[in-house]
Amino acid sequence: MDKKNFKEILRNNAVTIMFIFLCLGGMMVSGQTTAYVVYELFGRLARNAFLVLALIIPIVAGMGINFAVTIGAMAAQIAALWVVEWGISGVQGFVTAALMTVPLAAFFGFLIGKLLNKMKGQEMIGGMILGYFANGLYQLLFLFIFGNLIPLKAPGLVIMGSTGVANTIDLSTDRGFKYALDGLWKLPFGQALYVVCAIVAVITVVLMLFKKVKPVKGVVTLAAAAALCALYQIPAVEEIFSMVNVPMVTFGVVALLCLFNVGIMKTRLGQQFRAVGQNRTVANAAGINVDKVRVIAIVISTVLAGWGQLIFVQNMGSFQTYGAHEQVGLYAGAAILVGGASIRRATNKQALLGCILFHLLFIVAPSAGKNLFGDAAIGEYFRVFVSYGVIAMALVMHAWGSTGKKKSLKG
Amino acid sequence: MTKNKTRIIIAALLVVAALAAIVLGVMNLPNRTNATGAQIIDTLRIRTLLDATGAGVVDSYVAIAKKEATAAAKAAGGGMAAIREAVAKAEEETRAKYSGTQTDYSTLDTTALTAAVADYAALLAEHDAVAVAAENAYIAENMAAAEAAAKAEREAKIAAGEEVGEETEVTVDMSGFVATEEMTAAKAKADAQYEAVGAALQGIYPVLDASALNTLKGTIESIVYTRGDTFTAQYDRYVAAGSEEALDNKGAAFVVRYADDLIYVGAALLIAALVVLFSELLVRKLGIPRVIIGLFFILLCFMCLLYDLSLPTLLSNAVVRMGMNSIMVLAMVPGIQCGISLNLGLPIGLVCGLIGGLVTIEMELPGVWGFLFAIAFGSALAAAAGWLYAQLLNRLKGEEMGVTTYVGFSIVSLMCIAWLVLPFKSLKLRWPLGTGLRNTIGLDSSNFSHILDDFLSFKIGSFDVPTGLLLFMALCCFAVWLFSRSKTGVAMQAVGNNPRFAEATGINVDKMRIIGTVLSTVLGAIGILVYSQSYGFMQLYTAPRQMGFIAASAILIGGASTTRCKISHVIIGTFLFQGVLTLGMPVANVLVPGSTISETLRILISNGIILYALTKSGGASRG
Repeated sequence: MDKKNFKEILRNNAVTIMFIFLCLGGMMVSGQTTAYVVYELFGRLARNAFLVLALIIPIVAGMGINFAVTIGAMAAQIAALWVVEWGISGVQGFVTAALMTVPLAAFFGFLIGKLLNKMKGQEMIGGMILGYFANGLYQLLFLFIFGNLIPLKAPGLVIMGSTGVANTIDLSTDRGFKYALDGLWKLPFGQALYVVCAIVAVITVVLMLFKKVKPVKGVVTLAAAAALCALYQIPAVEEIFSMVNVPMVTFGVVALLCLFNVGIMKTRLGQQFRAVGQNRTVANAAGINVDKVRVIAIVISTVLAGWGQLIFVQNMGSFQTYGAHEQVGLYAGAAILVGGASIRRATNKQALLGCILFHLLFIVAPSAGKNLFGDAAIGEYFRVFVSYGVIAMALVMHAWGSTGKKKSLKG
Repeated sequence: MTKNKTRIIIAALLVVAALAAIVLGVMNLPNRTNATGAQIIDTLRIRTLLDATGAGVVDSYVAIAKKEATAAAKAAGGGMAAIREAVAKAEEETRAKYSGTQTDYSTLDTTALTAAVADYAALLAEHDAVAVAAENAYIAENMAAAEAAAKAEREAKIAAGEEVGEETEVTVDMSGFVATEEMTAAKAKADAQYEAVGAALQGIYPVLDASALNTLKGTIESIVYTRGDTFTAQYDRYVAAGSEEALDNKGAAFVVRYADDLIYVGAALLIAALVVLFSELLVRKLGIPRVIIGLFFILLCFMCLLYDLSLPTLLSNAVVRMGMNSIMVLAMVPGIQCGISLNLGLPIGLVCGLIGGLVTIEMELPGVWGFLFAIAFGSALAAAAGWLYAQLLNRLKGEEMGVTTYVGFSIVSLMCIAWLVLPFKSLKLRWPLGTGLRNTIGLDSSNFSHILDDFLSFKIGSFDVPTGLLLFMALCCFAVWLFSRSKTGVAMQAVGNNPRFAEATGINVDKMRIIGTVLSTVLGAIGILVYSQSYGFMQLYTAPRQMGFIAASAILIGGASTTRCKISHVIIGTFLFQGVLTLGMPVANVLVPGSTISETLRILISNGIILYALTKSGGASRG
């Protein structure tokens, strides 16, 4: 019995396990120091985790991976452009952009949801092609409307002699909001660890006092926090994290999103998401307005993706006007699948684990490729191949499972 | 009912406007070549001439004034400084005096000038005709040498490892060209006539002396005659110079100038009227997206005519691009027929075809045999790959579209690694420094560049007919059509239409799907080779990624759905799609110079039509 269980776990998490080995192998071959890899990893997590977490709700609602998050990213970039144009810098700029993203992304999300309702069962391919289509509209907007029909005055947004908005929008000038969120409160890893452990400890104690948490679980949590702090005292461990500077607010926002993802599932709406995701016909029979619930799921996901893109660009300090959004859906989707999610089931843990593993591979692949084959380009192409390959594999496995079920039902 | 009535009224109004425009256009078109047109041009020409010489006249007055001022200052016994000051003052005054005042043209008698200029124009035209003939003879004589030089240069470039583009049209260096005797004679005649023109001009502006006339010669010549002059070219030139004021009836001249455009607008309005009248029928028969794209294509045609872009050349390009894309689009047919819906995994076939092409170049197989070998090699690979791919698809019935897309994408990025490591040796393929194959591999006449396009190709006016390409397209379409009529083909379509029913009648569903998938993949391999030979490049790396989408959208534009298609959909769809792209680019460049709107257009059309097809298929088949 145990043996069978073990096999089951292996099979269900084949992608994750394969990725762990890939990453370990890559790290060994790449020749980069662990401290550097960890430093890079924290930077990438801060940038990307929010976007990956934005995918969870549509998955639960049975719409697969929402590749139309690219459209949320486009909404964010439109907002970012205007904030730079108005010259609102720093945190105010970031907040203004975030607020502006909400109506834009919600409106786009509403349209996406309406369209995806017309292609039930094909949402993923539909969302992807919709992303491409929207990219065409985005180009029209940025090449022919902004900067031409609607003039832009801020320096560097429009380049003389060429049509449309410039290729790169720089946020590191005094008009931009580079590091608006990251720079608010940065701590070296050690202090950040203590702060987080302290917060966790306080919350656990409070919850224990109010009897919301079982005593055993609470004690275990406290012990784990203490153990982590103790572990950090070992010089070798401290060395690994020596380069890391944790942007507390950014990770705080990511944590809030995790709580939101858990919290919403406990509301009525969350129950409806689940019901629709499990079986549309049954949900419909139970009196749930299936189409409306699906539209809401996509609207939430699109707005979150917009915010995720804003977090991404404030960290990067600039963005490619015509390219920054293109791969958002692909990379976020691949990341969540790597973490062990399927196109029907996804949790915060899977999203975060996937984000870590996927970006670990991204960090080590180019230099691993260079060391193995003498060409960094091979590593580059390899990670693109892995992104597509992981999604293809997840789809194949899902389809395989569902056709198998159908057959077994028939038989 | 009222809706119908308004529609009829709108159509009627459009027809009336159209007829008015056409009648006006047809009535005025002959005026370009008869006396009316000649008179318009003459008036404009004389005015432009007078305007231009007027500037010369001012210069003449200034020169005279300067001379007088110098003499006066000298006589007054001033030094150098005083002379300079006096000259500057005189120049300023004279310029102010003459340039400010507009000559009153109505008082001038230009009869003599008109006659002289008309003769001068005729003589210049005569000289130009002789010159063109002589130049053409020179080019014909030296073409072979220039071609040989271009080829040698190209090969040197490949050996040196530089990026080589497609073979461009060879141009003969004209620096060695010497004017022939005939040309000199004609030139002398024209020059003699210029004296007469000069005399007439002096009659009007007595101040013009011989040297002023000499300086003005070049200007006057270019005003009077420019190579390739037509009514419209002259009219535009003179109006651009601001001579429109000279015309007594500007409106009438304008109508003559734009008579052809009036006819086009009339025709466009007629079509619009028809569309308004039969809109419901059209939408029902063709579907909204096809109506929109069809109308857009027609609109682009008219815009090309209005902007005086060469429509035959553009349409000829569209036909070539239809031919080069058609086989890839045809590859969608067996896929749809056997029930795997749109084969977005087409890049699998494409990379097989590319490998075939690479092997051909590596082995230096020339010409037709090389091309046939590439097709054979690519098809064999594609058949094997297609078989494996079909095995996968047979396990995923009903989920093909999403999976095929991502499998195709993965294969393309896997092949990106392969292009870097495959052991090809030829310098035409590799970077001489650095690893891997070139991004774009330029084909030339020693490979299979344009091997189909140039076969039996001929010209009708400026419309190139790529006979070989069209024949090959027809052959492939016929073969696929024939196959769909065969026993296997019919069985395959049965599987596509209703797998359960097909299974019940004893058809091996999996086998039929394998046949369809393999056929589709093989056609993809042939398709990319046909595409490459016409394009003149083989594109590796990420280039094949989007081609599956382009092919899928073309057949959808042609009228196919994700479950049903015909050969006619392939041809109509490819022509419309490529036609819109080919015509869209120059028109967009006239509207917004230097823009990439054509690429944006491709993204919107191609993805828009796939989305439309998905909304039509998704809900229905899955409930």
